[in-house]
Amino acid sequence: MEGSPTKEGPTSVASAKSSVPSSSLSFRNMHRVFTASRTALKSFSSYADLIRSSPPPSSSFYAMTSSLLHPPAHLPPTVALQLSQQAPILLQSTPSSISPYSLSSLWSAAESPELWMTYENLMLSCLRTGDEESAHLCLERLTARFGAENERLMALRGLFQEAISDDDAALKQVLEEYEAILKKDSSNIPVTKRRIALLKSLKKTPEAITALNQFLDSSPTDAEAWAELADLYASQGMYQQSIFGLEEVLLITPYAWNIHARLGEILYMAAISGEAGAEKYLAESLRRFCRSIELCDDYLRGYYGLKLTTGRLLTGVPQASRQAKSDSVLAAPDSKTVERLNETATAKLTEIVRLSTRGDAAWGGYDKAELIAAKALLDTDTVKTTR
Amino acid sequence: MTWISKSVTGLGLLFLAHACYSAYEHSALHSTSTAALSTTSHIATAASSLPIDISIETLVAVFTVCLGLVLGTPELRPIQWRVWAGKIEREGEAGYTNIDGQVDKDYVGNPFRVLESRPGFVDIRKQRKEFAAWVREGGGSDATIKS
Repeated sequence: MEGSPTKEGPTSVASAKSSVPSSSLSFRNMHRVFTASRTALKSFSSYADLIRSSPPPSSSFYAMTSSLLHPPAHLPPTVALQLSQQAPILLQSTPSSISPYSLSSLWSAAESPELWMTYENLMLSCLRTGDEESAHLCLERLTARFGAENERLMALRGLFQEAISDDDAALKQVLEEYEAILKKDSSNIPVTKRRIALLKSLKKTPEAITALNQFLDSSPTDAEAWAELADLYASQGMYQQSIFGLEEVLLITPYAWNIHARLGEILYMAAISGEAGAEKYLAESLRRFCRSIELCDDYLRGYYGLKLTTGRLLTGVPQASRQAKSDSVLAAPDSKTVERLNETATAKLTEIVRLSTRGDAAWGGYDKAELIAAKALLDTDTVKTTR
Repeated sequence: MTWISKSVTGLGLLFLAHACYSAYEHSALHSTSTAALSTTSHIATAASSLPIDISIETLVAVFTVCLGLVLGTPELRPIQWRVWAGKIEREGEAGYTNIDGQVDKDYVGNPFRVLESRPGFVDIRKQRKEFAAWVREGGGSDATIKS
């Protein structure tokens, strides 16, 4: 099988679409592609309606805390901005220091774990939006409570310094600080992770991979680290190692439907990159996407991948050559099954896109970028069939 | 929905109170009348048993209270993994808001999302750059930007 995915001819839409999975299948990149080109946004006529129909962000404290109780890395910039705008008010409304022996502790708890989680996540949001004052205040309060020698706080302080440093020299200094901490106590997991993240940020990916492998030798049940390693390998085009990493993640969290889909995407990327055994990768990818759908009803990402893989299986290789090679590896299902899977995926994607763009309240949880990507995939498909 | 359940429960409690009061009145009346008449033990046992309408009212009241409480229960959460996961993906936060329009406190969304966002390895400088680019693109036009 060849690596070049353009077999259907140089129509503008088809080539635009096929350039996306060859670079990376991930929807994050698709988001970037689609937001970069305004025309794509305009072709998706009801995108504005989508934004308008999404519930207005509530500014009440409780609605905010629900998103502040979880790490904010995945939040869209709008929400991050909103959170950090609320930061000064929130920081004023909470007491700056909590004394363990106050009179009010008789009838109410002086502090709750949620408060400290809120501080930490608020700090991350503020650093992201550039509100360093509030971030520093959060850090100070956390330090006052847990002490500067707390492992997690060491990592947070390093993160703060990373964020405010302007040039590479300052970053090198932060890196040296991390190494000094790790020399004293090599079992400091948060700082180890920060060091790896900083190496990656400094474009020293091979060093980051080595450090991450060492870290995983000592703590092999860290699913987050395995996922990071898989991502680093995938960014280097080492798909086999990346697949291994994601399989390790699935050993730890076997029901993670998004990781099944991610593994399917990496397998698909491996299949179209022209490595040996593309057929095997495609069949495995198909199975992974099916599993992710099995674990999660109406999973847009799973159906998207299923449609891509089945489409490729149907157009790519003739049935005879597939049968010949299928003695050692688990072969792809026969073409009739693949065709039916493709039809199911198309029908389901169409339904999801239709219901979500209509602004149905029960279908409003999908990511806008993923919806746009699914719509584009469906459109290219109809272009192909009508031609 | 809640006002229905609340009114039904209230009605049931009212019935229950009424039945209790009736039973009390009935027994008080009969004990005085039987003491005055000083009748035989046969009539005393007959008097101590409640009339059928009070018993029926008690039962009806209990069932009405039960009905009201059952009507007032929040919507049941899915117990099948794929249904639960599908609900999270399909509805997002909107599926977990209560009547006041606030997201439930125990809502976490997809618990495995951290495996892809990976807060321990967050690249804060990249996030800052992306955010700055987003602001420059005019993404913040709908919200006021702080200096």
